[in-house]
Amino acid sequence: MKHSFLDKYSSLNSFIHKLDPRVKIITTLFFLIVVMTTSPIFLWAFLIYFLIELIILIISKIPILFILKRLLMLIPFILFIVIFAPFISKNGYAGSYNLGILRNLGDGFYNINSVLVVMNVVLKSFLSIIALILLSSTSPFSQLLLGFRKLKVPSIFTNIASFMYRYVFVIVDEVQRMVRARNARNYRGKWIWQSKVIGNMIANLFLRSYERGERVYFAMLSRGYDGDLILNYKYKMRWIDWLYLIIFSIILVLTMFFTR
Amino acid sequence: MHIPDGFLDLKTTITTAVASAGGLGYGVKEIRRKLGDKHIPLLGVTAAFIFAAQMLNFPIAGGTSGHFLGAALAAILLGPWASLLIITVVLAVQCLGFADGGITALGANIFNMGIIGGVLTYYLIFLPLRKTLPKTKRGFLTTSAITAWASVFIASIIVALELSISGTSPLNVALPAMAGVHALIGIGEAIITSVVLVGVINIRPDLIREYSKPEEEA
Repeated sequence: MKHSFLDKYSSLNSFIHKLDPRVKIITTLFFLIVVMTTSPIFLWAFLIYFLIELIILIISKIPILFILKRLLMLIPFILFIVIFAPFISKNGYAGSYNLGILRNLGDGFYNINSVLVVMNVVLKSFLSIIALILLSSTSPFSQLLLGFRKLKVPSIFTNIASFMYRYVFVIVDEVQRMVRARNARNYRGKWIWQSKVIGNMIANLFLRSYERGERVYFAMLSRGYDGDLILNYKYKMRWIDWLYLIIFSIILVLTMFFTR
Repeated sequence: MHIPDGFLDLKTTITTAVASAGGLGYGVKEIRRKLGDKHIPLLGVTAAFIFAAQMLNFPIAGGTSGHFLGAALAAILLGPWASLLIITVVLAVQCLGFADGGITALGANIFNMGIIGGVLTYYLIFLPLRKTLPKTKRGFLTTSAITAWASVFIASIIVALELSISGTSPLNVALPAMAGVHALIGIGEAIITSVVLVGVINIRPDLIREYSKPEEEA
């Protein structure tokens, strides 16, 4: 089993990696809320947001190519918005039906309103995806979950997520074995009725996973499991954590102050 | 279907987040009452299953593909509230671990796939159809297939609505495009859901609570 599709660079050693995950969760959330509520007119603010991410990226030593590859994921979504942007009217909001397609095209293909919409979406979605990658690449996933737990996220969610994290690799392994077996038998999925093969694979996968879940549950029950997990949270708030939190917040509050 | 950050405006983000939080609050209470905290390992492993199943792309036509959502399947197999919980955790992990779907859009994504695609279609389509169609294997599979198709189709319409209410894309072109594509993806979802259910019925019929004891369910 060799999977690194989750938290790939989380075991690197850097200042950012050593910070308490709670600090990273709070700053990331705060950062994203500020970014999302900034109007796209203030281009300089987005430059500041990008610089913040760039600095964190450089300190944390995460390869830039890794982030760039992840950004490709957004392209279909952006295309969807760009294709429909010409139909957004000059003076109004895009949801209304009474603005006929032809009349909008008459406005000139890309009017100022639609350009703003596209810019808004592109800037914000790229900034946020980088922020999320930085969060998950600078702390081990299990410790991140415990951080959420310490921040009073209900334990039922963090517990389910912990189990999911524990078994997702086992089950993905199973999927890869099944896919290899299927491809070795000349499967070439091209048309919708060939989906039946996928259905059979998923049925098999479900039964194997469910029965594994039952076995795990009984094994844990017989070892005294009472519905909660025992935590092993490795971090404590040091002065440097507080300092990072405070400096980060001050920068964000300042940009908020000047962009509203 | 996973809406990234930045595509929704403030009012849509907040409305869907509040709706999702309300649904989850009720869902957690239901799960605690029916299953107890102790079934968490089972829910966790099933969440890992949904996650892995979403990695399998199915063909639509001529080389394009869609991936399996699983909200309807999970609702039919484990009940609507367990499915909401599982979908929520899967979406949260996809968002945090893969940056797939945004964190401020998480409420909206849970709303579209968990509440609309899982819980609502279960109560508005699955249960009524289950009562009217004959209680045979074929009747059960037809019901499930329609539910699976509807869960994808309706969720895609809701996504188009949210995008246009946010002013990100115009409704009159985006809605037909989204709905058209997802009507096709929905067929794939329906086929897979019913094939999975046939497999489970053949091997462990006791796992499908709706199939083994349909009359007890309210």
